[in-house]
Amino acid sequence: MPGNITSVPAVWLWSVCLLFCIRLTSVGAAPICTNAQAGCHVLSLANLFDRVIQHSARMHGISNDLHNEFEQFFLPSKNQIGRISRNCHTSSILTPNGKENAQRMAREELTEVILKLLVAWRDPLWHFHQSMSHHHDFNNFSSSKALEISDMVHELRKGVEKVAEKMQNLGMIGNFVNNLASPETFLTSDSAEWRLMRNYDLLYCFRRDSNKVQNYLKILKCRIVPEHGC
Amino acid sequence: MGVVSASSLLTSLLISSLISPGSAFLQDWDHAALSAPLEPHFTECISRDLATFRCWWSPGIFQNLTSPESIRVYYLKMKIPNSEWKECPDYNHDKRECFFDANHTSVWITYCLQLRSQNITYYNQDDCFTVENIVRPDPPVALNWTLLNISPSGLSYDVMVNWESPPSADVGTGWMRLVYEIQYREQNSSNWETLEMQPHTQHSIFGLQIGKEYEVHVRCRMQAFTKFGEFSDSIFIQVTEIPTKEMSFPLMLVLVLGIVGIVILIMFILVTQQNRLMMILLPPVPAPKIKGIDPELLKKGKLEELNFILSGGGMGSLPAHAPDFYQDEPWVEFIEVDAEETDTGEKEDNQGSDTQRLLGLSQPVSHHVHTGCSNVLSFPDDDSGRASCFDSDLPDQDALILMATLLPGQPEDREDSGERGQEIGERPIVHTQTAGPQTWVNTDFYAQVSNVMPSGGVVLSPGQQLRIQESTPAEEEMQKKGKESEGSEEAEEKKQKELQFQLLVVDPEGSGYTTESNARQMSTPPTSPITGEGYQTIPPQPMETKPAATADDHQSPYILPDSPQSPFFVPVADYTVVQEVNNQHSLLLNPPPHQSPSPCHPQHPLKSLPAMPVGYITPDLLGNLSP
Repeated sequence: MPGNITSVPAVWLWSVCLLFCIRLTSVGAAPICTNAQAGCHVLSLANLFDRVIQHSARMHGISNDLHNEFEQFFLPSKNQIGRISRNCHTSSILTPNGKENAQRMAREELTEVILKLLVAWRDPLWHFHQSMSHHHDFNNFSSSKALEISDMVHELRKGVEKVAEKMQNLGMIGNFVNNLASPETFLTSDSAEWRLMRNYDLLYCFRRDSNKVQNYLKILKCRIVPEHGC
Repeated sequence: MGVVSASSLLTSLLISSLISPGSAFLQDWDHAALSAPLEPHFTECISRDLATFRCWWSPGIFQNLTSPESIRVYYLKMKIPNSEWKECPDYNHDKRECFFDANHTSVWITYCLQLRSQNITYYNQDDCFTVENIVRPDPPVALNWTLLNISPSGLSYDVMVNWESPPSADVGTGWMRLVYEIQYREQNSSNWETLEMQPHTQHSIFGLQIGKEYEVHVRCRMQAFTKFGEFSDSIFIQVTEIPTKEMSFPLMLVLVLGIVGIVILIMFILVTQQNRLMMILLPPVPAPKIKGIDPELLKKGKLEELNFILSGGGMGSLPAHAPDFYQDEPWVEFIEVDAEETDTGEKEDNQGSDTQRLLGLSQPVSHHVHTGCSNVLSFPDDDSGRASCFDSDLPDQDALILMATLLPGQPEDREDSGERGQEIGERPIVHTQTAGPQTWVNTDFYAQVSNVMPSGGVVLSPGQQLRIQESTPAEEEMQKKGKESEGSEEAEEKKQKELQFQLLVVDPEGSGYTTESNARQMSTPPTSPITGEGYQTIPPQPMETKPAATADDHQSPYILPDSPQSPFFVPVADYTVVQEVNNQHSLLLNPPPHQSPSPCHPQHPLKSLPAMPVGYITPDLLGNLSP
């Protein structure tokens, strides 16, 4: 029967398609597993924190390297007046300036500060990388680091968002103002200020801010999940 | 007064206008030492714990002018809305230090410091800093070390050094992340070995030498920052030799004694079982043996005596054994030493004579011929490389495989030692018969040489003749083995009976060999001398007195002896003395005088080689034959 002959490959084809569809739908599911979902590797909060802190440490290290390189290539004159009044565009963000201040700060606020800082640096670093790639007086080492920095900021921001989400799920922190949807909102009129800054100053500011982020994350972690490493 | 005040004012104005570079304590300490400005300046600002910091100043050369307390420190925290200069919160005039406690310390904020003396402000913009950049942690504390292991050679060892983070650094809360650097050196050395930086509070040092004292210290700094703290207090590591050999001493002693005992035992066994061991390891080599002949004669150099004996000198002994010869034993056993094993079994199993098989006579073993490889090829193939059944070279008529191996294609193989002289029988020479009415019926392909005449003739074993039952004339082919013997006198007689022995035409392509079955079909007349071999083919002459034998239809290389009915007494020379080798490397034989009717013989220039020994050509003599 010709009908039977043609139906067999058709059935097979449909089954293959079905299989693929199922796999695709499963992939499209949310990558983060909830606690109830079985077969999912659930990362603990401590584990998430460790990863994020490691990431921020690395980011700070790279920013430090970049800043030192800039200092070698473009030694600013000693008596630069602008050095005193160096003003980073993130100065408007209120950040705790000491250990006690950071420890006294509420978790939600601290998390918010971290996220604000990370968001604020996304665009400047991207433009910094662009300008670096156009300048051929830098070696490729610096250029690749600049690109790496902008990527790392982006990834770190996502990581911190996930941590915040998990903390919220676990009830460790209350609802905090999630400005992630519109990062432009809390960039004040100084938002364009960074365009006026020179690369060296950008790097100086970023080095400082990455150190802030690293410290805040560590303090947050030791307050919330004070297990090993605190 | 006015002049003095004016001058001082002028001086101060002059000085104030000078803005010297200052100490720039943000740089390394080395630079600070180099530039020592005259005016009061800050020498250092250090934070130990990222929560407080201290600043030290120096009054400069104007120390005498002003009292120490007259200099005041002002600082500025760079805040956007308003920044104002404030005075140092905590003075320590003895050390000229200004201490900023935690309340007055803000990280990540730029501080600028000023020195004010009376109305003069000493201010250097390079003295602005942020607290995290001036952090120099305290040195680690509580260093100690533990021994990890000692190398097997006992010369070096590894240690693990561990310490604690400085108590002032708040590592617990993660506020400060420190990395440590460890250095060590030998006691009296001036070079420090530096190990790589790592954030853990322990580190292992490998490869320290026993007996030497080492000094170790550690320092740390903030991760991703550049300023190191001071080195910690040193600790001293020393490991002396550990006498571990005493432990293993008895063990060594036992081992040594054990080995010595075993060696002695082996020696004892060797000595007592010497003979048996010699038998096993060096079995005695069987000496060449020819019945009736002293093996001593067979050794090299005694050929003359051997010849003498064989040619009749020792005949007295030989005939006594002759009847015993080869009755039931393969004669090859005595002639060819190395064919002992192989031929013995083979020959005995043969149903009939090889010759019979070869000639395809009525012996029921005709079927063996084609498979003659298996049974015929019992004799050693030492003359040729073709030990296997090798029909490829043979003509269409199946040649005797046995013969194939005897092809004189390797003439050099024929040059054997003197003992080969006795191997006549091996050659596919069928000795035509000796005295007495004999039939060739059952003549073996190899016939036993029972005796050697003084003239050089070879006497076949009479015992063998008894076994002749059929009229199987066999023809032999003379192998160019380099040893030809004269035809016996009896053989000559036989030859006259038209049994012609032929020099073997060792022509691979020719019909040198035929299988037994094809012996009858052999049709190639070997009249033409086949070149290359040096042999002359003596065409079989029709035997006068011999009735047509079964195989006589063919001109075969083998002259089939006459039928059983006809006695054949043609004295055929079994061996012909090689008289000479002509320039074409053909052996010129000395045919027996009775063989004159052979047409081939004219081709033999008869020459005498006086130097020829009777009977055999020895290898050393063969060399003389070379043209």
